Amino acid sequence: MVGTLFNGLSLSSIILLTSLGLAITFGLMRVINMAHGEFLMIGAYVTYVVQQFFISYLPESMFDLYYFAAIIAAFTVTFLFGVLLEKLVISRLYGREIDSLLATWGISLILQQAARTIFGTQGVLVTSPGFLKGGLSIGNTTFSYNRLFILLMVGLCMLIVWFAMYKSGFGAQMRATMQNRPMAQCMGINTRKVDSVTFGIGSGLAGIAGCSVALLGSIDSTVGQSYIVNSFMAVVLGGVGKLLGTVFGSGIIGFVSILFEKFTSASIAKAIVLIIIIIFLQKKPQGLFVVRSRSLDE
Amino acid sequence: MKLIKKNGYNVCFGIIVIILGVMPLLLQADMIKSTTVLYLAKCMCFAMVAIGLDLIWGYTGILSLGHGLYFALGAYGMGMYLKLQATGGKITDFMQVGGLTELPAVWKMFRYLPNTLIFMLLIPGALAGILGYFIFKSRVKGVYFSIISQALTWAAYSLFIALSPYTNGNVGITEIKSLFGSIKGPKNQGNLITLFYVTLVMLILIYALSRFLVTRKFGKLLIAIRDGENRTYFSGYCVSRYKNVVYVLSAVYAALAGALFVNLNGSVTPTQMTISTSVTMVIWVAIGGRGTLIGAVIGAFLVNLCEYNLSSGSLVEIWQYIIGALFVIVILFFKGGIVGIVTDQIPALIRRKRRKSGREEA
Amino acid sequence: MRSKGILKRIMCAALAGVMAFSMTACGGSGSGDSSEPIKVGLLHSLTGSMAISEVSVRDAEVLAINEINEAGGVLGRQIEYVEEDGASDPSTFATKAEKLIVDDEVATVFGCWTSSSRKAVKSVFEDYENLLWYPVQYEGMEDSSNIMYMGAAPNQQIVPAIEYLIDQGYKKFFLLGSDYVFPRTANMIINAQCKAAGVEVVGEEYADMEQTDFSSIISKIEAAKPDVIINTLNGTGNVSFFKQLAEKNYTSDDLMTMSFSIAEEEVATIGADILKGHMVSWNYYMTTDTERNKEFVEAYQKAYGKDRVTSDPAEAAYDAVYMWAAACEKAESTDVEDILEVVDGLSIEAPEGTITVNGENHHISKPVRIGQVSEDGKINEIYATEKPVEPDPYLTTYDWAVEAGVQPLE
Repeated sequence: MVGTLFNGLSLSSIILLTSLGLAITFGLMRVINMAHGEFLMIGAYVTYVVQQFFISYLPESMFDLYYFAAIIAAFTVTFLFGVLLEKLVISRLYGREIDSLLATWGISLILQQAARTIFGTQGVLVTSPGFLKGGLSIGNTTFSYNRLFILLMVGLCMLIVWFAMYKSGFGAQMRATMQNRPMAQCMGINTRKVDSVTFGIGSGLAGIAGCSVALLGSIDSTVGQSYIVNSFMAVVLGGVGKLLGTVFGSGIIGFVSILFEKFTSASIAKAIVLIIIIIFLQKKPQGLFVVRSRSLDE
Repeated sequence: MKLIKKNGYNVCFGIIVIILGVMPLLLQADMIKSTTVLYLAKCMCFAMVAIGLDLIWGYTGILSLGHGLYFALGAYGMGMYLKLQATGGKITDFMQVGGLTELPAVWKMFRYLPNTLIFMLLIPGALAGILGYFIFKSRVKGVYFSIISQALTWAAYSLFIALSPYTNGNVGITEIKSLFGSIKGPKNQGNLITLFYVTLVMLILIYALSRFLVTRKFGKLLIAIRDGENRTYFSGYCVSRYKNVVYVLSAVYAALAGALFVNLNGSVTPTQMTISTSVTMVIWVAIGGRGTLIGAVIGAFLVNLCEYNLSSGSLVEIWQYIIGALFVIVILFFKGGIVGIVTDQIPALIRRKRRKSGREEA
Repeated sequence: MRSKGILKRIMCAALAGVMAFSMTACGGSGSGDSSEPIKVGLLHSLTGSMAISEVSVRDAEVLAINEINEAGGVLGRQIEYVEEDGASDPSTFATKAEKLIVDDEVATVFGCWTSSSRKAVKSVFEDYENLLWYPVQYEGMEDSSNIMYMGAAPNQQIVPAIEYLIDQGYKKFFLLGSDYVFPRTANMIINAQCKAAGVEVVGEEYADMEQTDFSSIISKIEAAKPDVIINTLNGTGNVSFFKQLAEKNYTSDDLMTMSFSIAEEEVATIGADILKGHMVSWNYYMTTDTERNKEFVEAYQKAYGKDRVTSDPAEAAYDAVYMWAAACEKAESTDVEDILEVVDGLSIEAPEGTITVNGENHHISKPVRIGQVSEDGKINEIYATEKPVEPDPYLTTYDWAVEAGVQPLE
């Protein structure tokens, strides 16, 4: 029972971590970034590169520290990629949601092939740092350190995002831009810069997620594709534009998947979860948490 | 003359049909290989899906990322019939592995050709109809619809893999011959040519029907929905009903295309239901030019023919970069796709040049 | 306005012209002169999810072709390979197979990995009477005179491995596989075999092909308390499964696994520290002690880098090229008909030992080896059959299999 709850919590936290970045780029900016999964892939590969660097150039005693360096590096690299993508592509497509979806699909094809060209088609190996190996056994249940760490990471990311959005000067500018762009511009906010940085943060979060999932599974050019669908579902289910919604969305998908998997096979569980979401969205097309608005086309 | 000017798109389609029409003759004259004819026939199937997608996306502004599902449903329907022809109505090997001893009811529906022809279009159509009814009634639109359609095809993909005793999992239905018998090898060339012309006729019919619809009031309404949904609502039209009709129509096109495709391909797998296949279908329309019908046909042919010829040997890597970059560039700078370049961008460029030179002369 | 209309027409015509050009560009030409190089096809997924596995097989085939060319070629002619990308999509495989056979007029094709791609191209090779060399172990229950199955049939990998486990005293088996045809068929066979041997199968689970979270499945395994997990997961699933098993503090001491799809390549991506002590079953390991293997490993690493490893499928693909070359020499022809006439009993000295073609079912008789992953990422042989095992894809020589009726209906 405890085990099942922990499994559900852990899966939810992974989905949340992968969809937090989407919640920002999609939820706030209304940009459907189909390359979000590839940013996650970049984060995973950055972890690998940092690890190789530590193995080659630094003493073995410092090896465990690589993971912290990797988290920072993954965020930085994907942040920069995000800013670059925003400047080159996304900025030309504001207001054309569907077009941004298709353009970023093209980007994701390019990034996947780039990963194959640079790192080869085979997966690469990332070893868990010593302090994340194994798990803590209490009674019959084992709580893996890695998953506990992911829970911690999610909490930390949520806290930082919340602080950045609601407690900082930049957050105020960001929310102002997203809610009413012309008015924000009139107030002297550099909305172009706000767009870039916001998109960068969203992408950077995907990088961190990539860093975490690198310890859980395979790292290859297709890793992003296996997480992207659930992340989109979590954001849509939770209600676009609300961080809390994404938290609930991820939670529901995570727990329901684990619950159904207990009784049936994984493929059927996945199909059932998706169908439940589709039916739910018929009832509440805007998701669990609705941003109230008087505009006609929200 | 005036007729041609007015019907530029149709003339272009006519030229394509004529070129396609002579292909089998070239084959008989041994000037081209049978694979070329076969692949062109597959491209025609893709073009049919693309026309359907153009109706719903280019004209109505609803982006469906799940048309691979309807394509696959049509293909499975036909595939089940063809498989039963091959086994003589007995259960198949994968059913035996899955522990079934009797032909499942789903398969019995596809035992005979008339049933098959009805069900393979009815099932996808009904699914699209039911789904569309609820989705459009609750006014889900824009990217939300895209994501839901994507989720649907993903769910179906998982189901088809999970229900392997009935669907043969991710191997799908293989080792089947076409409706007219085998189409492989020199001695079966006649069958291939028959199938080719059947496909061509279907393509013409679908194009003609779509062209008929979009030039009537129905088409104008679709464009009205795309450009100002609320205004159309307030003008007293039941927008959701129109959306649903066009959604079902495009699903049936896709199913028909799938059913023809399985004849040509000799197998159907759930890969046809993956999200990337569905997005690729949208790519054809976007590159060809949305909202023109002919653009969808051109896009489907061009992208697939390039892929066929370029995705081999050392070009594989580069092809992925090219298709990705091409897609980004078309979306960013040429919203009208190839047709847009030809009908708007180039004339505009020439006009500008002419004006410039005119000014210099003065 | 007028000029626009005319231009529109011209452009439409030009476009149609471009299309016509690209259509005719499809048709290539080729002819079979005796002094010209022999064309062979390579058909693997170079993009998409299967590229992870298939590229190393492609590399082995290219290596073999280059070696043969350096040694003077086949029948005095050089081999030239034409490569196509299957893009991890069975339909694309079928299309590309036909393109290779008809457009490029290849003498034979080396290719495929997944069962779905093989089944999709099977009828193409049969209809055109060409020959496919399939390099991977698979689920059996198939034979085609137009496919040479270079990998193990179930009785050359799965059945001996289960026998070995039963001999070692394992009593409770848990069957875990990806949700597709190989694991499902393999588990049907294993179930029948266990039932006949009086060994209990305590659970059977299938993971989604794209599954990334195995916590639920691991819980089910914990609840069933097996001695050994029979693992037929494929591709990326293995990485996630073993990483997440290690997270729960399980090592091979607590929970033994016997895997049928983990070769040296997979060990390198999962990590030797995690896989240490787990068992696998193949016909060849990088450590296999033959003279031919030393040469193979050296040549492979020289061509593709010191960090690359060889594996059973790569070795089988390498053998396939040599077997084909040997068949051509024996038949003094590259025609498929002539080759098929002489393949029965044809044998070559391969890195895994002497392998011989069974002309009846077009499989290969090969030695079976159970291996154990060591700390340094190598797989060491812990048991091997004395003689090569004859292929029996339908398991007709096994009484329990006949009794359970695992053979296909027709």
